[in-house]
Amino acid sequence: MKVLRYLRDAAVFAPCYIALDWASYIDPVGPFNITPWNPQAALAIVWMMLGGLLHAPAVLATILLADVVVRHVPGGFAITAGTAIVLAGGYAATAWALKTLLSDTGLRSTRQLTIFVTVAVSGTGIVGAAFISVLLAAGLLPEAGFGNAWIRFWIGDAVGILITAPLLFAAADAARRSTLLALVRRPEALLQAAVLAATVWLIFEGFGTDPSRQFYLLFLPLIWIAVRFGMNGAILATAIVQMGVVLGIHASGAIALPVVELQALLAALTLTGLYLGVMVDQRQHAEEGLRQTLRLAAAGEMAGAIAHEVNQPLTAVTNYGRAAQILLEREGAGSLQTKEIIARILAEAERAAEIIRRLRDFFRAGTTRLEAVEVEDLLAAVRRIGASTIEGKAITLEIEQRATGPALFIDRLQVEVVLRNLLSNAADSLAGSDRRDGQIGVLLERHDDRHLRIVVSDNGPGVAAASRAGLFEPFVSGKPTGMGLGLAVSRAIAEAHGGSLEAPAAAHGEFHLVLPCVQSH
Amino acid sequence: MRPEPLTVYVIDDDAAVRDSIALMLGLAGYRTSVFADAEAFVAAWRADWAGCVVADVRLPGMSGVDLQDALRKRGAALPFVIITAHGDVPTARAAFRSQAVDFLEKPFDEAQLRRAIETAFALEERRIQRRDNRRADAAKLGRLTAREREVLAHAARGLHAKEIAAALGISPRTVEVHKTRIMEKLGVRNVAELVRFALAAEPPAD
Repeated sequence: MKVLRYLRDAAVFAPCYIALDWASYIDPVGPFNITPWNPQAALAIVWMMLGGLLHAPAVLATILLADVVVRHVPGGFAITAGTAIVLAGGYAATAWALKTLLSDTGLRSTRQLTIFVTVAVSGTGIVGAAFISVLLAAGLLPEAGFGNAWIRFWIGDAVGILITAPLLFAAADAARRSTLLALVRRPEALLQAAVLAATVWLIFEGFGTDPSRQFYLLFLPLIWIAVRFGMNGAILATAIVQMGVVLGIHASGAIALPVVELQALLAALTLTGLYLGVMVDQRQHAEEGLRQTLRLAAAGEMAGAIAHEVNQPLTAVTNYGRAAQILLEREGAGSLQTKEIIARILAEAERAAEIIRRLRDFFRAGTTRLEAVEVEDLLAAVRRIGASTIEGKAITLEIEQRATGPALFIDRLQVEVVLRNLLSNAADSLAGSDRRDGQIGVLLERHDDRHLRIVVSDNGPGVAAASRAGLFEPFVSGKPTGMGLGLAVSRAIAEAHGGSLEAPAAAHGEFHLVLPCVQSH
Repeated sequence: MRPEPLTVYVIDDDAAVRDSIALMLGLAGYRTSVFADAEAFVAAWRADWAGCVVADVRLPGMSGVDLQDALRKRGAALPFVIITAHGDVPTARAAFRSQAVDFLEKPFDEAQLRRAIETAFALEERRIQRRDNRRADAAKLGRLTAREREVLAHAARGLHAKEIAAALGISPRTVEVHKTRIMEKLGVRNVAELVRFALAAEPPAD
């Protein structure tokens, strides 16, 4: 099975790589793959980052094949093999460095972006030097041409990775992919793309001179796009500009264009766009977080006040009810029905009190108190909460433990609140769907070295695409009687732990709760 | 002055809460007395009140904690049962430095409240028992003559009849007679008990 999947992945990767290599084989130095645009490098690196270094042999084979197909083995098979080994090894090392240094492929902070840019630029520089050195050693390049060829290779690979890798990162992530697709359907984004395309046309054709002299004009639409749509806008915009530049170069045909200079300008444009996009995203994220925190704080205060105000009459109701019971007992009076009714009044008062108690637990004052909780203890809590959730319902609960290891480092009570909330959401969703074979699954597995993940899923209808956006917003509820606090508070709790709570796009109900483990050092 | 019977003093600013507690406890056979705030309770308080206080932790004006301090200063030993509608039992416990008999979260059920009150009453009964014993002892001491008290004071210091006789300038035989009379009046059977009594007893009140 593993081998089959490997071959299947390779069968998708290789044609894509070769097609990109072919499309980007422009303005080369000699007959070799020293071109100022090399997006296929990004494809190889991202594939090895996401799929693992086991893909390196497949990458090596593909690079060899590409040299055969696209360039008909310039310099003989020995040289092709040598350069392919240099490229595959260099890309694998770059992929390994990125995977080790980046926490994920989200490029969500300027720090992460700087790591990405530094590794990409320095990695391609080293790979380029090694590549050119092989050709030079074989006597296939003139000694004086080293600097020129190296810069061209370096710019080509670096720009290729800076533009293409973020796009591939986004495309490989289901959630980000759907945001990108939603983005390109917006009228404003279409207008921006048109402006961008027009600007590219203008700098290549409109002035009829050296396009690099008017290249600065592209910064204006790029800034507009990055400010409006952040990182997603920036990566799409730079990709469009790259396509435009390549088309422009092809269209200009015989006219010798300063392609290397254009690509250097494009690198500057890309860096500007990426950094601006990241900062816009960060600011927006911070603003949203603050707004949510303020709303939750206000809700917490309100919940406390309501709890107090409602508890007083509830206390009175309970006491009066009990007084009535005592009175009836003492006088031997009251029909069976009267006694039954009073008992029900008391039970309902207790139910109301329980609701108030749960509401208050949500907003328990004070900070999160983290302690070591054994995985087994947490699963026991899941079993207990799950049993009470599905009690009397046609639902089965399956708990699976796929990870053992260090204890979790969590606030047990708060995490139980989150679990209770997720489980009862799943049960409610199943109850609403009229399924007869309702099933809730709880899966505990490793998320990464420092986190465990609890996946709570059900075979209900899941979250409708339309309500996905406001899913974690406070006071937005999909239930007719819901307050819309459960998921908002649950996510706030998960994030207070340094974990997360996500709802990946799925046709059934599914939530991923990521919690930290105890660190042994 | 006859001591008051054990009473539950309910202090809560919510009229329905204190009325319902009083009604329920009243029907369950408790004597109750209600107050809307701590100030009213302090103003009405008399030294011979016995029983327990059931008070909300947060009251308008003087708080439950302040009330407890104020009563302790006046020498009132009434035990407290604290009730709260804020779900802040740990906070309340800290504020009272665990000096209350119990902390109940509103709404509580009758059994919880009665258990707390019974615990408080048991404490209170032991306290009253001890106080009554002391008072009875004091009354007995009051029946001794001046000379007998002198003899008792010396005997309590562990002196023998001869030494007491020398100190008081009377014959040892007379001292023995006094001792017998004292033991009769105090209802003790031997000298050891006599010494213990003399040490434990408060000086006669008046």
